[in-house]
Amino acid sequence: MGDISFAVRRGERVGVVGADGAGKTTLLQMLAGILDPSSGDCRVFGLDTRRESKIIAARIGYMSQGFTLYDRLSVDENLAFSARIRDVPQDQYLARRNSLLQMAGLTTFTQRPAGKLSGGMRKKLSLCTNLIHEPELLILDEPGLGVDPLSRRQLWEMLDRFQQRQVTSVIATSYMDEAMRCDRVVLLREGQVLADGTPGALLEQLRGRVFSVTFSTSPEPLDDVSVKLRRLQGMRAIQRLPDRLRCVTDADDFKQLAMRELPANTVVTPAEPQLEDLFVLDSRTEVEMDCVEPPAMGNGEQASRFPVEAAKLDADKDRNGVQTQNLSIRFGEFTAVDRINLTIERGELLALLGPNGAGKTTLIRAICGLTAIAEGGAVVGGEAVSLKNRNLRRQIGYMSQKFSLYLDMTAGENLAFFANLYGLSGNTARAAVAWASAVTGLTVPLRTMVGDLSGAIRQRLALAGSILHRPAVLFLDEPTSGIDPASRYRFWEVIRVLASQGMTVAVTTHYLDEAAYCDRLALMMNGRLIAHGSRDALIESLALSPDTDMETLFLTAVARADSASLSEGEG
Amino acid sequence: MNARRIVALLLKETRELVRDPVTLALAVVMPLVMLFLFGYAINMDVDELALGLYDQDNTPASRALVARFAGSPYFDIIEYRHNTRDLDRSLQQSRIRAGIVIPPGFGRALLRDQPAPVQVIVDGGYPMVAGLGMAYIDAVIAYFPAPRPEPVEMQTRVWYNPSLNSINFVIPGLFAVILMAFPPLLTTLAIVREKETGTVEQIYASPLRSAEYVLGKLLPYALVAFLEILMVILVGFVWFEIPIAGSLPLLFVASLVYVFTTVGIGLLVSSLARTQLAAMLITLIVTLMPSFLFSGFLFPIFTMPYSLQLYSRLFPAGYFMEVSRGILLKGLGVEAVLPNLLLLIGYTLVVFVFAVWRMKQKVA
Repeated sequence: MGDISFAVRRGERVGVVGADGAGKTTLLQMLAGILDPSSGDCRVFGLDTRRESKIIAARIGYMSQGFTLYDRLSVDENLAFSARIRDVPQDQYLARRNSLLQMAGLTTFTQRPAGKLSGGMRKKLSLCTNLIHEPELLILDEPGLGVDPLSRRQLWEMLDRFQQRQVTSVIATSYMDEAMRCDRVVLLREGQVLADGTPGALLEQLRGRVFSVTFSTSPEPLDDVSVKLRRLQGMRAIQRLPDRLRCVTDADDFKQLAMRELPANTVVTPAEPQLEDLFVLDSRTEVEMDCVEPPAMGNGEQASRFPVEAAKLDADKDRNGVQTQNLSIRFGEFTAVDRINLTIERGELLALLGPNGAGKTTLIRAICGLTAIAEGGAVVGGEAVSLKNRNLRRQIGYMSQKFSLYLDMTAGENLAFFANLYGLSGNTARAAVAWASAVTGLTVPLRTMVGDLSGAIRQRLALAGSILHRPAVLFLDEPTSGIDPASRYRFWEVIRVLASQGMTVAVTTHYLDEAAYCDRLALMMNGRLIAHGSRDALIESLALSPDTDMETLFLTAVARADSASLSEGEG
Repeated sequence: MNARRIVALLLKETRELVRDPVTLALAVVMPLVMLFLFGYAINMDVDELALGLYDQDNTPASRALVARFAGSPYFDIIEYRHNTRDLDRSLQQSRIRAGIVIPPGFGRALLRDQPAPVQVIVDGGYPMVAGLGMAYIDAVIAYFPAPRPEPVEMQTRVWYNPSLNSINFVIPGLFAVILMAFPPLLTTLAIVREKETGTVEQIYASPLRSAEYVLGKLLPYALVAFLEILMVILVGFVWFEIPIAGSLPLLFVASLVYVFTTVGIGLLVSSLARTQLAAMLITLIVTLMPSFLFSGFLFPIFTMPYSLQLYSRLFPAGYFMEVSRGILLKGLGVEAVLPNLLLLIGYTLVVFVFAVWRMKQKVA
């Protein structure tokens, strides 16, 4: 973080936006007085954070990104501890505690250990522990991280209620809707301020820069159109959604350029800009306009180098992606997954959504053959799912949110290790590594230590590592959280290309933005599949307006399922 | 200093400790396990020394000598051999620790009042056992067939541990070692765990000051440590029947000082380590290892080279060991143990001041 000048007025709500490593947490820690600036000054309430941090501390609430609660203490004990070390008077404590727990919906859980709360409840309790002393300044580091949309909405309701008391707040976030709720947004990039202003003023800078490309009559293959778009002058980024392309451009005459180059039935309309588009427009963003065109599987030089693998993936043209029939999983008395019938077609992108504890992870683990199935069954890439089927693993690629890479090994060593795990060796392994690096656009030298790579490059490396064996099905767990938007768009483009070659992709995520890239959505709750279909189909079945955002769609479906299960219980 | 904040932290820390059965069991059971293991394992007394005998003489006199060995509780005659080669092999295979060869003509020489040589072969592999064994064999032979008048008579009195029972020396030493093994580990893990999970950032960003944090965090562990030492003293007294020559209250006071030394060291380590694994390794290296080697627990410091004697003064276990042995074995009073006690108090203060100074309450 270098040379930042930044002031927050009393009562203002400031959002801090930026990719992982942009300096959001560093900035917040400085404001909270737990990190000293190497040079320059940081003053909070006019007090110096170096020498007077403890005076500042009494007047602020700081909610860090990681653990903020003591798992072995109950909800009440956590709250009481937080109040006592912040000198909350005994006579005021009870009233504040009651109103906070009420707001957080935790009144019935006061005796439960914090370790046994869901992710959403933990965040709400954590916010309570930072509001108990009624701070003048609230510093929140990604409060919505890893929290399902329902809990996130409740969290913001709490914040809005507290805001009415003229509290100043600084909130780091990766959610653009959270940023939009702030009075002012600061965009950080590599430790520097990229933009600073009200959300409205920032969006104004994007006027005439963001467009949506669709087709009036029969849709053109998006692949071809996207190749043509890339060649247009001033193109900064292309976001590929299931039914359209969203472009960010520098060119003032984009519309004319596009009409000239693209087929006649193309419709170019201005699209609603997002705050993040500012990152893409920034001149320092590396524009990768080369096409994602992996060596086609099954022909040419690659085929001769890996004959078995390529032939296998190509010959099996009609095998399906994933099919489950009445799949149920129980842990003792508890039914974690309840009679799920789900089909993911070959080459399809499916988003698996649901609140924390809905059973998403359990379902994925079962499909991967890692959890025993109580009833029903599943077939993945033509292989029946069971704990014993060894061939199953070859059909499955998995990329976790935390990118399971070894930081003390080079990129090449990591890939070689994963290749060996999948049973590839020698020339086959080398060819697989070359192919996967080419597909994912891994441009860094393979000799680089993973620890020295940026989040975006690590993400590509993790993706390369999970597709080395050309799995039939690829599972992604919040794959693009914390990554800068340009890299994120590029990532989904790669995923699209893989899908077009027959790879089936399932995404579990809390970022509903990620779900927007998928062909179909599957919503889970309490172990059941409560809705599935394309976004348009879901909107229709829930009788919502066509321009409903993902979050409202999700919350409506969850609320609908909730009331349905209630009436079922009554009947 | 705000008492209310300290109490809040104290309460929180105690609750976490009580609800963690594994750590609690470790704190209570491990010291006892160590006390019993070492109490029985470390035995430097020699009795029932395994002997091999080869009586080449086979006269009434030689048989009388053999009977002296057989009748002594210090020896256990494992083998009667009939050639030197067999005796050799028994020594090589460690079946016996010493071999005695009575040559032909032994009885005749005694009768004529001539010097009667006896060969004694001792396994020097364990120098301590060899030395004691030789002394015992020497004593038996010196009194055979009857005590011989010497021009100068030596009258030996062993003070403080008159029975020369090594358990009386090991157990009071173990008090110092056990206390140095577990309390620092528990303390340092409790603090570093918060660093590792990240909850400590909430503490840093709260009005809780460093000194308050240190007190609130340490007192529960100091209490656990004090209970530990009461427990091991009780077991040492009741089970191992160690004598208590001095004042028990004085030992408790000294223990209380030492308890703060040990948790203070844990605190110091936690200010240096970032992960629990590193904290654990550093603790083992700065506490357990030196308290075995450089405290005088088993290996006397006064026989070490001067440079290592100085080095050994860096570790506090030795100071407490002198106090604990002094009170229990020598019956020393306050004025005699005061120098070591003052050293411990000074040491503890330095550790605390340094640890609080290191605890900047900043993330980097």
